[in-house]
Amino acid sequence: MNLTWVLAWRNLWRHRRRTWLTVGAMVFCNVLLIFMISLQLGSYQMMIDNTLALASGHLQVQHRDYLERQRMRDSIPAVSSLAQDLRSSLPARGVAARGQAFALASSDERSFGVLLTGVQPAEEPRVSSLPGLVSRGRYLQAGDSDAIVLGAVLARNLRVELGGEVVFLGSGRDGSIAAGVATVVGILDTGIRDLDRALAQVPLGWFQQVFAMGDAGHEVAVRLENLEDVPAAVAEARALLPADEDLVVLDWDALQPGLRQAIQSDLTSGWFMYGVLIVLVAFSVLNTQLMSVMERTHEFGVMLALGLGPGRLARLVAMETLLLSVLGLTLGLVLGALLVAWLNVVGFTYPGMDELAAQFNMPERIYPQVSLLAMTWGPLTVFAFSLLAAIYPASRPYRLEPVPAMRAAQ
Amino acid sequence: MRWIVCAAIFLPLIAAAETPDAGDIIRRAMDHYRGLTSYSEMSMTIHRPDWERSMSMRAWSEGDDHTLVRVVAPARDAGNATLTLDSNMWTYTPKINRVIKVPSSMMSQNWMGSDFSNRDISKDTAIIDQYDHSLLETRDIDGHTAWVIQSIPHEDAAVVWGREVLVIRDDWVLLEQQFWDQDNVLVKALKAEEIKTMGGRAVASRMRMGPVDEPGEWTEVVTETVSFDLAIPEGMFTLSNLRNPRQ
Repeated sequence: MNLTWVLAWRNLWRHRRRTWLTVGAMVFCNVLLIFMISLQLGSYQMMIDNTLALASGHLQVQHRDYLERQRMRDSIPAVSSLAQDLRSSLPARGVAARGQAFALASSDERSFGVLLTGVQPAEEPRVSSLPGLVSRGRYLQAGDSDAIVLGAVLARNLRVELGGEVVFLGSGRDGSIAAGVATVVGILDTGIRDLDRALAQVPLGWFQQVFAMGDAGHEVAVRLENLEDVPAAVAEARALLPADEDLVVLDWDALQPGLRQAIQSDLTSGWFMYGVLIVLVAFSVLNTQLMSVMERTHEFGVMLALGLGPGRLARLVAMETLLLSVLGLTLGLVLGALLVAWLNVVGFTYPGMDELAAQFNMPERIYPQVSLLAMTWGPLTVFAFSLLAAIYPASRPYRLEPVPAMRAAQ
Repeated sequence: MRWIVCAAIFLPLIAAAETPDAGDIIRRAMDHYRGLTSYSEMSMTIHRPDWERSMSMRAWSEGDDHTLVRVVAPARDAGNATLTLDSNMWTYTPKINRVIKVPSSMMSQNWMGSDFSNRDISKDTAIIDQYDHSLLETRDIDGHTAWVIQSIPHEDAAVVWGREVLVIRDDWVLLEQQFWDQDNVLVKALKAEEIKTMGGRAVASRMRMGPVDEPGEWTEVVTETVSFDLAIPEGMFTLSNLRNPRQ
């Protein structure tokens, strides 16, 4: 047995250059896969984190029908105290109660429809990254009443400046006509045009008063430290909800279905490319091994004539492929890991990425994810396919007759 | 012989005179319920499965496109008013003492929380000019003839509907108005629930508007009094009157 291993190893190096070329193809493919998959998973992580940080949080408590219909009356009673309960019992980074209403916002000159959000000024910065994106003026403060922060595009459309007044007109929770005047204290600039066109935040207390909400609100947003904590936190929040109130806990996937879809469609196109790459490498291994078996037809004929079973010859060929694949796997893993570890420190960027990044509220550099899955998935698959590629060359000794084989050209 | 020729020529004309042109029917119906001028007092009830609220209001109209509606009760909403002039719409709210122009992007939003959209309130005569009308059928309803008319908006008309179907009685009362979307699905319908003679005319005194797929949601408008062709003071349909009522 040991002798067969030695024989296989030596056979491998009968054609040094050919073996190195095949190993090189495997190593290249492995490093590329490690790099791409780590980068992809890293960018998804960032896409999720940044999108959720913007406003929705990792999970929310809402009325059962609110997500679908967004009606004023599908509200959470005593929303601030529910938020307080969640804050004290969930291991969350922040918990914020909000109210939302569609309203007509108008300045002296112009009017636009907006989604007006009532927020808790002290809690909102712990949940959302929006308060940190104030470009002029300030964010809402505890103690503010008729103050408002507007998205930069909305402010420009309304032609209001800091200190200007914006009038709101909408329907209250009881169906009455809701109207209020608020003073602009801050302008938010997220760089996302659609958001800057629609953002309007006022203090929750004032919101509840203008829209006849009483102490009710529409959502409690929870931001956790890590994405992995979501399922546990959802279960915990469910247990905390009052049983009789028609309230539900929604995780980020339910709140932002587009996010997962975007990731999935990107993954699918990625997988397709990886599949092509892996199949190509497998064929290159098949080619090498088949060539090496064909050119040894005479030698195999002699060995068969000496009484060696075709099974041992097949095992020999399989072992050669195994050694070849292990070599490619090890070198690929080491080089790939080094590359990703280095990129994980310095980050990765490419021309034009800042534009793309702004669209998803991402930083301008991607830091690839260093994880066992991202590291090993690609190389192990290449390894498995290389072994599969050995089946055909390894089955050849079974089809050889000693005498004709010995007569084959040497 | 000559008589037969005459009949052959004139009979079709007589028949044509009996079924007027679809556009004319709608024109007559609009004129019938708006008059040259009108003043009415009505109440509007907004019904939802879990709540209901009512408002009382007064409305003035002049010609096709001047309308002023003012809320008088309940106290929380009293003084709110809406003025429409030539399909522009302004609203006044005493709480903040401002007049706000409703932008065209908000015209499909509901009016004062009801099932009527701002467009339903402001542009109810736009159907005459901006739609093509055709008579679908003629029915007998309660001893009256009623015409069923299909109205399809012109390509360039600023409407969200694919078509509207109106049922108009031969005394020019609008019995039903259906709103179909562009996928040919019936979205909402306005129906006359009660017809009375008021101000010397047959008037749909109780009308109900509601989405078709939500039977528990509707808005009912009951006209309590109405008078037609009265003298309306100068300056009724102005922004200054919207803000500082003189009547």
